[in-house]
Amino acid sequence: MRWVVRAVIALVVCYVVLFTAVLAAMLQPPERFGQFMRYMPAPVVWAGLPASRMWLWARSGTVAEGDLAPDFTLPTLDHSRKITLSSFRGERPVVLVFGSYT
Amino acid sequence: MPALNRLYREYRDRVAFYVVYIQEAHPVDAWQVDDNLEDDVLVASTQTTDERYKAAGICVTKLNIELPAVIDGSDNRIERAYTGWPDRLYVIDRAGRVAYKSAAGPFGFKPAQVEQTLKHMLPSGAALTGPGDE
Repeated sequence: MRWVVRAVIALVVCYVVLFTAVLAAMLQPPERFGQFMRYMPAPVVWAGLPASRMWLWARSGTVAEGDLAPDFTLPTLDHSRKITLSSFRGERPVVLVFGSYT
Repeated sequence: MPALNRLYREYRDRVAFYVVYIQEAHPVDAWQVDDNLEDDVLVASTQTTDERYKAAGICVTKLNIELPAVIDGSDNRIERAYTGWPDRLYVIDRAGRVAYKSAAGPFGFKPAQVEQTLKHMLPSGAALTGPGDE
């Protein structure tokens, strides 16, 4: 029976190693995480691990509801002007949609 | 996008909406995904501001995005501050505070929750008249 115990231990160790590696990757900047996922077989991550929960935790970020939103000044797509977030204070709420094409 | 376009049309007189265009979620030179291959959504990672403007332009056109867009710099500073990648929704109230922060995308990207927040935040049907009336 000892081989069964050893096999189980080996599996648990593999799982812990995989979990740690993926979580560490999720905590990296997006470009590094992207490179990691390029080479990692997706089913391993999505089927084997609680990936969505890990992701939600890893990407919780530092901004909290109730905090002052980090200010920024960014140019518009049509190059016409720059938008400063804090300029809307006292005026109107702002909805920010972070995203990209892909 | 249809849900966000609808929200934009409905609330744009009272609320500012901006797409913050950030680094690509699935650039061809990193984590390419099958869906994008099938849909012919092929963009390399945007290393320079010019490249990002180009990708943003394509995105806005192909996805029929009505919201205005601002472009995050190639230093990704704003994405970092807001942990916005790959996508995320925020509502900032008139005091400049975060009223709503979605869970990380793609799982947490729920326009319906933005709508809920706006409904609670704004008096129904009334246009904002100025500071101090909340």
